[in-house]
Amino acid sequence: MLNDTSKMATELPTRSTNGDRTPLNAAGEENFTVKTGLARMLKGGVIMDVVNAEQARIAEEAGAVAVMALERVPADIRAEGGVSRMSDPKMIREIMKTVTIPVMAKARIGHFVECQILEAIGVDYIDESEVLTPADALYHVEKHPFSVPFVCGCRNLGEALRRISEGAAMIRTKGEAGTGDVIEAVRHMRTVNSEIAHASKMSDTELRVLAKDIQAPFELLRETARLGRLPVVNFAAGGVATPADAALMMQLGCDGVFVGSGIFKSGDASKRAKAIVQAVTHYNDPKVLAEVSEDLGEAMVGLNVSVMDAKDKMQGRGW
Amino acid sequence: MSSEIPITVGVLALQGAFNEHIQLLREAAQTISLRETESKRKWKFTFSEIRNKNELATCDALIIPGGESTAISLVAERCGMLEPLREFVKVSRNPTWGTCAGLILLAESANTSSTKLGGQSLIGGLDVRVNRNHFGRQTESFQANLFLPFLSPTNSTEKSEESSSKEIKQKPFRAIFIRAPIVEKVLSPVQGIQAQEASKENIIVAPSKEMTPEIASRFTVEEVEVLGRLDRGKEGEDEGEIIAVRQGNCFGTSFHPELTGDERIHVWWLEGVVRDVVGRRGL
Repeated sequence: MLNDTSKMATELPTRSTNGDRTPLNAAGEENFTVKTGLARMLKGGVIMDVVNAEQARIAEEAGAVAVMALERVPADIRAEGGVSRMSDPKMIREIMKTVTIPVMAKARIGHFVECQILEAIGVDYIDESEVLTPADALYHVEKHPFSVPFVCGCRNLGEALRRISEGAAMIRTKGEAGTGDVIEAVRHMRTVNSEIAHASKMSDTELRVLAKDIQAPFELLRETARLGRLPVVNFAAGGVATPADAALMMQLGCDGVFVGSGIFKSGDASKRAKAIVQAVTHYNDPKVLAEVSEDLGEAMVGLNVSVMDAKDKMQGRGW
Repeated sequence: MSSEIPITVGVLALQGAFNEHIQLLREAAQTISLRETESKRKWKFTFSEIRNKNELATCDALIIPGGESTAISLVAERCGMLEPLREFVKVSRNPTWGTCAGLILLAESANTSSTKLGGQSLIGGLDVRVNRNHFGRQTESFQANLFLPFLSPTNSTEKSEESSSKEIKQKPFRAIFIRAPIVEKVLSPVQGIQAQEASKENIIVAPSKEMTPEIASRFTVEEVEVLGRLDRGKEGEDEGEIIAVRQGNCFGTSFHPELTGDERIHVWWLEGVVRDVVGRRGL
């Protein structure tokens, strides 16, 4: 007899194709299973934005599972304006030399040459990110041909499945980066969840119509509906600033959390980073959450998304 | 009529691919229960996610999953889990299996020269020295077919009917290596810490834990067995890297059987857990 109490609603089956449409275990050794495999290893962890080697070390010592190397955190990109691009490869390399955990870096939406450069440096994951200024008004990067895996943002199911079909091996909510306001990340996660719940009750005939409506490939939509979750690892991102925010996103069904400006724009970065790491592990244990939320000092100041102009929001970039 | 005998297997759920192991354990348990329809004994398996020492105390055996080994050890340290884990593995000698990051944590010694020391602590249990990220970064991650002799029915201690009649050719095990460590050196079991290792540069070792005399009387000190090597047919290499080892109740693999949907290693390990439980409880 089996005791199935540990089965979670958000389980990602090991036999799922991860949304890969290339034949399972294709001859090439750099295939989708290996790319999605690293994302699975990051689950239950926190990925932190860092702008230099010193911050990368603080992040690693706090227990981050990976760092995102970028020149300016989203809060500064927002404040300073201008065109925001891929970071200087030298700075990314320095971070790669400093830490043992995986190093991710951002490329502009559609800028496949930035992706080629990041692949040449040897970063472990590329984030084709709306936080940077988009480079292409029509196309996202074709991600399958790269040996480096990609993570992409989404606001809804259609957007997530379009990215997976282009080759993203991991998805994150877009949220609203650099604000410290979690409302958009919650909105995007809830939207994806309710769209999947809706789709999972549909027949194939109805799913074909839904696929057309949300502009997603039918096969991927059908797999998602059958699984009851996205077919790849899905992290929260964009506005997470406290341990409670992180645990909220985990309880909503995220597999892990990205924290951008929330850590190094706060009073005591190291302490807050450690607290958020504990909160993601013990997301279902309010006693632990209460302990780690104590005495963290100043949180990042934050911007209230509800009073922002649409043109100031980053989440509308990408489609 | 026979009652069901409960066995609890935990998967350390501080960070990483713990849920994948639980899925494979469920499949393995099904395979075992199908095989054992004839036998009088029935096992009632419970597979749980383990996040604190109270949960650990309910376990007969444990899997330490893949993930980021530094993150897992830092989280474990900060929530007071490192010492209970060392007790579980090295004092109580409960069956424990580490995959990838889990193998690193179960090693008595780790080479940190090619990487940088980022707050990594070790639990220990396997007298081996591991090398983290041996193959390099994510772009060097790969899949490979392994031949694992311990999975062959002919080598199994519990012979199935088929194996007696004819030798079965083993289906290769498709193994996934993600920023994987390897065992770079098998060490001789010693009393206390691996002092010789500790004296070397860029090597970290696990603290020692003495068994209680009562437990020590039941366990002999066993040598490390190499259970698998990676043979990628490279010229100039006589033997491939060591990617699977066992020492007593401790088992480590540098790859990820939990990502393959192939439950053979989980079945093999779970059968070992059952034997251990039978021995401990005098069933």
